[in-house]
Amino acid sequence: MIATLNTTQILNDWLLATADDQLILAHRDSEWTGHAPILEEDIALANIAQDELGHATLWYNLLMQLKSENEDYPDRLVYQREANQWRNVQLVELPKGDWAFTMLRQYFMDAYEHVLMSHLEKSQHQNIADIAAKIHREELYHYKHSSAWVKRLALGTDESYQRMQAALNQQWPYIGQLFALAPGEASLVEAGIIPDPAILQNDWQKLVLPLLSTGQLDLPEVSNRFSSRAEHSLHLNQLLNDLQKVFRLDPEADW
Amino acid sequence: MDTQWPRFEVFKQDAPNQPYQNVGTVHASDGEMALLNARDVYGRRPNCHSLWVAPERAILKVTAEELGNAQIQQKIAEARMLASSELLQNYYVFQKVSQKRTMTFVNYVGGVQAASPRQALALALDRFSQAEVWVWWICPAEVVAASEPGVEDSWFAPALEKVYRQQSYYGKVTRKRRDERLQIAQQMSQPQAQTKNEVSK
Repeated sequence: MIATLNTTQILNDWLLATADDQLILAHRDSEWTGHAPILEEDIALANIAQDELGHATLWYNLLMQLKSENEDYPDRLVYQREANQWRNVQLVELPKGDWAFTMLRQYFMDAYEHVLMSHLEKSQHQNIADIAAKIHREELYHYKHSSAWVKRLALGTDESYQRMQAALNQQWPYIGQLFALAPGEASLVEAGIIPDPAILQNDWQKLVLPLLSTGQLDLPEVSNRFSSRAEHSLHLNQLLNDLQKVFRLDPEADW
Repeated sequence: MDTQWPRFEVFKQDAPNQPYQNVGTVHASDGEMALLNARDVYGRRPNCHSLWVAPERAILKVTAEELGNAQIQQKIAEARMLASSELLQNYYVFQKVSQKRTMTFVNYVGGVQAASPRQALALALDRFSQAEVWVWWICPAEVVAASEPGVEDSWFAPALEKVYRQQSYYGKVTRKRRDERLQIAQQMSQPQAQTKNEVSK
């Protein structure tokens, strides 16, 4: 199977996966709009959701450009794909949970994007390097925001600590999927287009583990779920049902 | 019971040589969170270079009217005399100098060293008085949290490209769309109007 994949296809698949992570994360964040614990955070998270949506758009647009697709390609990808055609990691499709769950996931993803972009800025693929530089500066702010929350909830009250620990227990098994190499992607690593996931994971842990330890959070002893990015939980179906509902009512409608 | 987090006054600087201007408040658990909230609430549109936040309860706020009060004048006079050079602290001085619309911001005008907020006010009155000052704010420098130099690129610059966050962006779209929709609505309502007339006859 690997032999039939050429580099273009592998790169396209990687771009799709990278964009899908952002889009699904953006949707989960946006579910808090109007429901966040305080007005200021409502604005902050809506803002961040919009940023992540913007990042997804940058990657979808590059994919569109590389595949010489029409302008409606990103919309088709978002509104017309079934769950099994999405390539996001399962971490981002999990329901938004409580505020601790959302902040911890956002923190994990901000740390991931931060280390990923700092490598991609040096990608041999110029378009990717340009997009990464643009995304990276925003991620520095996102990281500051979510790490401040994780720290405060972990060191806050008994209840906030317990909620943070519960969120960690639930999310930790999904982390490995962020650093799994898809079939054929080793060629992209060799070509200097994307970073080696092992290096990425190491960078990520150097950021994340000290903060979790500051918060006295215990890493659960669980084995990672190494599933393919084509596999999803039923949560994604429910999410897409929401996301695509209006579009499916009238696919030809002009907005 | 007030279950809100403490209130912080937010001061925004639009460009390096502009004054810090009070733009509103945020609620937050502490200064660092207040700064992050201020960034999202007040720095998400273009023209933000730097932010300060200060806990509202730490700020001495005095109006021009109050300064005319004999008791308050007496207290300020006493505070002026209580100089103790060992306990000097830095204070930031802010003023509102206009009642004209869009110019009613409370602006940073400078700093003084004083032994108490009231003494800082006395010194500020000596140093920064001008024709019209409607409101004076005196804030201990040590409670002010400021965005770090160098974060502009990450905190504020991306907003420049996000034109969709500006009201004017939608103004243009909706006006054009509104005309289109009005046309469609008119076309659709014409036969219906006729039917109505017929019924009313």
